[in-house]
Amino acid sequence: MAAIIEKESLIGKAIPKMDAPGKVSGHTRYIHDLNLPGQLIGRILRTDRVHARIISIDTKEAEALPGVHAVITAKDVPNKPLGVTKDNPPLKGDKVRCERDEIAAVAAETEALAEQALSLIKVEYEELPALFDPRQALLENAPVIQESKPDNISMEFDYSHGDVEQGEAESDVVIEDLFKLHYVTHCCMGASGVIADFDSTSGNLTLYSNTQVPFLHKREFASVLNMDPNRIRIIQPPIGGGFGSKLDIYPFEPIAVFLAQKARRPVKLTFSREEEFLASPTRQPAYLRLRSGVTKEGVLTFRTLDSLLDNGAYTSWGATIPFVMMQTFSSLYRVPHCLYHTTTVYTNNPYAGSFRGYGNLQATFCVEAHMDKLAEAVGIDPLRFRLKNAQQAGETSGQGMHFKSCGFKECLTTAAARSDYAIKREQNLKAQGDDNAVKKGIGMASMLHVGGGAKIYPSDGCGTILKMDDFGHVTLMTGASEIGQGSETVLSQLVCEELGLPLSAVTVVNNDTDITPWDVGVHASRTTFIAGNSAIGAARLAREKILNAAAGTTAMPADQLSLRGGCIVIDESGEAVITLDKLLRSLHFQERAELVTTSFYYEPPSVHQDKAFKGDVSASYAWATQVVEIEVDTLTGVVTLNRCTAAHDVGRVLNKLGIEGQVEGGIVMGQGYALTEDLLIDEGHCQNPNFRDYKLITAPEIPEIDLSFIETMDGEGPQGAKGIGEAPAICMAAAIANALYNATGVRIYEAPFSPEKVYRALKGCSQPLEW
Amino acid sequence: MTNFKSYLAPATLDEAVDQLNQGNVTVLAGGSDLMLRVGAGNYDPSHTLMNILKINELRNISFEDNEVQIGTLTTITEIREDPELSIKMPLLGQAADQFASMQIRNVGTIGGNICNASPAGDMLVPLLLLDAAVELARQSDGGVASRRVALKDFFVGPGKTQCQSNELLTRVSIPFSKQGFRARFYKFGTRPALDISTVSIGIGGIFNNGYLQAPRVAFGAVAPVPFMALKTMKAIEQSPLDSERIKEIAEIARDEIKPIDDVRATAWYRKQLVHNLTIKVLSDVTDA
Amino acid sequence: MSLTHEIKFTLNGSPVSLTIPLTMSVLTMLRDLLNLTGTKYGCGEGECGACTILIDGVSVNACLKFAVDCDGRTLTTVEGLVADSRNDPLRTAFAEKGGVQCGFCTPGMVMQARHILDNYPRANESQIKRGIEGNLCRCTGYKKIIETIASVGELDNKG
Ligand SMILES: Cc1cc2nc3c(=O)[nH]c(=O)nc-3n(C[C@H](O)[C@H](O)[C@H](O)COP(=O)(O)OP(=O)(O)OC[C@H]3O[C@@H](n4cnc5c(N)ncnc54)[C@H](O)[C@@H]3O)c2cc1C
Ligand code: FES
Ligand code: FES
Repeated sequence: MAAIIEKESLIGKAIPKMDAPGKVSGHTRYIHDLNLPGQLIGRILRTDRVHARIISIDTKEAEALPGVHAVITAKDVPNKPLGVTKDNPPLKGDKVRCERDEIAAVAAETEALAEQALSLIKVEYEELPALFDPRQALLENAPVIQESKPDNISMEFDYSHGDVEQGEAESDVVIEDLFKLHYVTHCCMGASGVIADFDSTSGNLTLYSNTQVPFLHKREFASVLNMDPNRIRIIQPPIGGGFGSKLDIYPFEPIAVFLAQKARRPVKLTFSREEEFLASPTRQPAYLRLRSGVTKEGVLTFRTLDSLLDNGAYTSWGATIPFVMMQTFSSLYRVPHCLYHTTTVYTNNPYAGSFRGYGNLQATFCVEAHMDKLAEAVGIDPLRFRLKNAQQAGETSGQGMHFKSCGFKECLTTAAARSDYAIKREQNLKAQGDDNAVKKGIGMASMLHVGGGAKIYPSDGCGTILKMDDFGHVTLMTGASEIGQGSETVLSQLVCEELGLPLSAVTVVNNDTDITPWDVGVHASRTTFIAGNSAIGAARLAREKILNAAAGTTAMPADQLSLRGGCIVIDESGEAVITLDKLLRSLHFQERAELVTTSFYYEPPSVHQDKAFKGDVSASYAWATQVVEIEVDTLTGVVTLNRCTAAHDVGRVLNKLGIEGQVEGGIVMGQGYALTEDLLIDEGHCQNPNFRDYKLITAPEIPEIDLSFIETMDGEGPQGAKGIGEAPAICMAAAIANALYNATGVRIYEAPFSPEKVYRALKGCSQPLEW
Repeated sequence: MTNFKSYLAPATLDEAVDQLNQGNVTVLAGGSDLMLRVGAGNYDPSHTLMNILKINELRNISFEDNEVQIGTLTTITEIREDPELSIKMPLLGQAADQFASMQIRNVGTIGGNICNASPAGDMLVPLLLLDAAVELARQSDGGVASRRVALKDFFVGPGKTQCQSNELLTRVSIPFSKQGFRARFYKFGTRPALDISTVSIGIGGIFNNGYLQAPRVAFGAVAPVPFMALKTMKAIEQSPLDSERIKEIAEIARDEIKPIDDVRATAWYRKQLVHNLTIKVLSDVTDA
Repeated sequence: MSLTHEIKFTLNGSPVSLTIPLTMSVLTMLRDLLNLTGTKYGCGEGECGACTILIDGVSVNACLKFAVDCDGRTLTTVEGLVADSRNDPLRTAFAEKGGVQCGFCTPGMVMQARHILDNYPRANESQIKRGIEGNLCRCTGYKKIIETIASVGELDNKG
C-alpha cells in the first residue's frame, strides 16, 4: 500500500531563520569581511566646521604620499547632488553646511596610509554665521543654508479634513500642548560600508552595497555617476542591521565609486563607529503643537497639529515623515475634523533619514498623551475613552484609509486585560501621595501603521522567479532584500506551503540586481506582504504545472492531486502517487517541463494619495496596543521599565519565531528611544559619537515582555498576514510618558525621559518648552 | 602608524623595576584603558611598552594578620568572585559587580584602575572608604625597594598619581575593618554596571547608640579625583543620626563636592544626586 | 629597537607565529592579518562585545587587547569554538530559538555565552542578562538570546 502523507503546514510555526547557521558559526561574510584582490581603502575627509565657505583645498601633499592612489575633491567628479530634493552634493566644493560634510576623499593601500593622507589635506575656510535652532530658521535675518532655498524652508505639508472651527465649537474640552522629540540614530551593529569595483575591460561597475532599495539605487547611481544603468550591478552582502538607514543614497557611496574610477582599483570604504554616529542618518527631531477637543460624552471632535521639523543641512527621507505622521493624527482614532501643517526648515545640524516607524513614534507620542489627558478631562477611564473613539473594520478614515480588517479594539482590550491595566492604574494613582520614594506607573498607547505596502513610489511591486530542479529543489529568486528581518525564511515558508516541501528544499537568491527581479525596496513594513504575495504567485504557477504534469503520468485529474511532503498525493486520502523529484526527472526534455515560473505582485489594492494627501495608501493596516509598567525613583529620576504587554494585529502569524523576534526587538528599540538614547547635538556638533554616552538598551535593562497576536486574517495578505516590521517600536515612548504621569502626576512633553530630565520635571524645574 | 619604541614582557618584578629605572616606560596591564589611549594617539612613541601581565608574583590575594593584600594584576572578576574576600570585605565585591561588563572585568586589573586615576574609577571609592594603601616598588641598589602611600593621598589630579615614572604599583593593602563596621557603595546610573559613574558614593562606619562612629565617606565623579569627604565625615561623627540629622548631613555633603557639567549630567543634578543618595546610603548604613 | 614583535600562540587549536606592530589590537590581528572575519568590529572601544573571543578560556574584548600580549596564550574565536560546527548545542540553540536576526552581534554573543556556560553553568536568567551586558544587539531585544543561553545551561529554567 502506498504511504499516506498527512497535510502539514509551516504557517504559524516557530521556524528558525534559514541564514542563522551561517551567522552563528561566524561564516557569514558582511561587507566588512569582504576583500577584493587589489582593493584599496577609501577614507573621507569631513569638515570640522558647521557653516563655512571653502576658500581652498590643497591635496598636493596627500597625492604625493606613496601608497596613495587617488585623491578627489568636488572639482574631480560630476558631483550631481543626492537626496530627496537633490540638495546634497557627494563632495562639497563651495561651502560646508554641517559637521558631516565631505570635502575630499582618498584611496590608499592601507587604512593607516589613507588616514595619513587625510591629515595632509589642507582646507581653508571662511566662517559663515550658523543656524542651529530650527525655531530661528524663519526669522528675517536668519543665515541661509541652501542658496536655492533663501527662506530656509525645505518642505511644507498641509492636510485637512472636515472643519476644525466647527469641531472646536462642538467641543466641551479643548487642550493644547507642545511636544519635543530628539535625535536618535539607527546604530546598526554593522556600520555602513561599500565596495566599488570596475571591470577594467567592460567598464561595468559592481557595487557591493548594503542598500535596502537596490533597484531604485541602481537608477539613482546611474544618474549620479553619469553611467548607463545597464552597466551597474548591485550585490548586497548580508547586512548588519538596516532599520531604514539604508533607504537613501548618502555621499560615501558615490565617493567610493569615484575613487575606484580614478584609482582603477576596487575601493572599499567602511565607517568607524564614530563616523557612523557622525555621518549616518538620524531619526527626525521635531517640535509638535497639538490641539485637541472632545465632548463631555467622550467623543473626539477635532485635532490641529502644527509642527516644525529640523531638516538639517540637506534633505533626506526624514523631512518626509509628515506623510506618515498625518495618518496617525487623522486616522488612528475617529476624528471628524483635522487640520495638519508641517514646516521643515534647513539648519546647520545633521540631517535625518528614514528610521523604523517613520515619524510615527513622534506622532504617536503626542496623540496618545492627548488621549490620556482628554480622558482625564472628561472623567472617563483611558481604556474606555480609546475604545469609544477607536477605528473598526469596515470604516474609512477622514484621510481615505479604508480598514478592511481592523483588530484595534481587540488590541486595546487584550493588552489591558493581560496587564491588569485598570486595577493597577487605580492603585498607582492612590499611591502617588504616599511617602515611598519609588513610584509605580502603568501607561498605554496604541498605533496604526501601514501593513500592506505603501504607495509612495509609482510602483509598489515585487517580482519573483521560481526555478525547480531535477531533485525537487526550489530556487526562489526574489527582488526583496533580507536585512536581518527574516524575509527570506518567511518567503520560503510561503512557497513551501504551496508546494508541500520542507524548508530545506528551498534556496533563496535575493541579493544581486543582475539576477533578481525588480522590487521597490525594504521599507514601510511591506516585504512580507508584497514580496510574499509575489512568491505565492510564482509557487502557485509551479504547482499548477506540476499537478498538470502529474495528471498526465498518473491518469488522475489534476484537481484531485496535491503536493505534500515532497510527493504528489491524492488530495483526499493523502496517498502518495509519485515523488516530486521522480516526476520532475521524468519530465526532462518535455514541453511541460519548463519548471521556471515568474510572477509579480505589482498592484496591491491601494491607491496613490491625491495632492491633498487623501487616499487608501496601503492594502492593509496594522494596529497595536502596548501597555508598559514602570518604576520611577523620585530621588534620582531613574525610570525602570519592568514590563511591556503588547497586543498586535498582525493579520496572521506566519513565523512565530520571526514575528516574536521582530516585536521584542522593536519594543526594546522603542524603550531606548523613550529612555536612554539621545544623540546630543551642540551647535551642530555631536557630543556623544560612541556607545559609552549614546546608550543603547543592554540585556539587564529589558522588560518582561508579554505578546499577544491578534489574527484578523487580512483578505489581501499572504496567508492573511500583514506587515509589522515597524509597528512594535512606535508606542513605547508614548506609553512610558503616560505611565510616568500615572506614577507621579507629572507629565513630560519631551523625550527621552533621562534621569536628569525626569528629576527636573519632578522638582518642577524643567526648562519650559517654547516654540 | 602609532607605535612604541620597543616591547618587553618581564617575568619578574626585579626585571620590571630595572626597566622602569631606565626611564621611558609605559606599563601595560589589562590594557582596557591603555588601548583606548593609544588608539586616540595619546602615548609617547619614545617609550617602551612593558607588559606586566607575565609577572605572577603581582597576582594573588593574600590575607595577612591585619590586612588583605591584593596584587595589582588581580582582575575585577577575581575580586568580584573571591569567596573569602566577599566575606571579609563585601564592599569590594559589590563595587566589582557594578564595574563595566564581564569581558572588561575579566581583563581590567585593580592596579590599572588605580593608576588610571579616573575621577569615576569604580574601585577607588570603596578602597578609599576602607582606608587602603598602595605599595610602590622601584629599583634600589640592584634590589627592589618599596614604599607605601595611603590611597587618600595618592591621587593628584585626573589621571595623575603619586606613582613616579620609575615606580610600579605592586599591590593594594586594606586593613581589616573593626568589628561592627558596615559600609555601602552606590554607583548611580541607568545600567547595572556598564556605565561611567555620574556620581558614586561610599559610606561606612560602626553604628552604635545612634552614632555612626569612625565614619568614612568617599565620593567619585564629583571632583577632579575621588576623595574622602572630610567635612561630611566630621558632621556625621558629631551627633546621633536621626532622619533630620541625616538630611542636614546630606546638605553638607552636597556643598562639599565640586562637580562639573558634562555630557552625562549637569553639576546641579550631580549635587542633587549626592544629596539624595547620601540620605539613602547613610540611612542604609545606620538602619540594620 | 623594534616597532614590531614576534609572537607565538595557539589559535583555534593550531600554532601561529606572527610578527605584529606593538600597538595592534587582537581584533585587527585576527581580521586583517589572519583573515578570520568571524570576530566583528562594532565599536573598537570595548562597549559592544561584537569582538568577544576567549583568551586562555576567558572572554575578552579583542579590540581592547594588545596583540603582543597573546604571546604564549591560547585564543579561541567563533571559527574555532567547536570542531564540528553542525553539532554544537549552543550554536544550534542560537539558530533554533531565534537568537539571531541580522547576525552581526551573534559571534560575540556566542563567545560570551560560551564563557558564561563554562564558568557559571548554573546561571539563572538574571545572571545571564548580566553576563551579556557588554554585548549590544540592535535587532532582537535580547529576550531570545537570553532564552537561548538559558536553554543550554544546567539550570532548569528552560520554560
Ligand atoms: C567599555 C569600558 C567600560 C569601562 N567601565 C568601567 C567602569 O565601569 N568602572 C571603572 O572604574 N572603569 C571602567 N573602565 C576603565 C578600565 O576598564 C579600568 O580602569 C580597568 O581597571 C583598567 O585596568 P587595566 O588593567 O585594563 O589597565 P591598563 O589599561 O593596562 O592600565 C591603565 C593605566 O594604568 C597604568 N598601570 C597599570 N598597571 C600599573 C601598575 N601596576 N603600576 C603602574 N602603572 C600601571 C597603565 O600604564 C595605564 O596608564 C572601562 C573601560 C572600558 C573600555
Ligand atoms: S568592537 Fe570590541 S567591544 Fe565593540
Ligand atoms: S542580531 Fe542584529 S545586532 Fe544582534
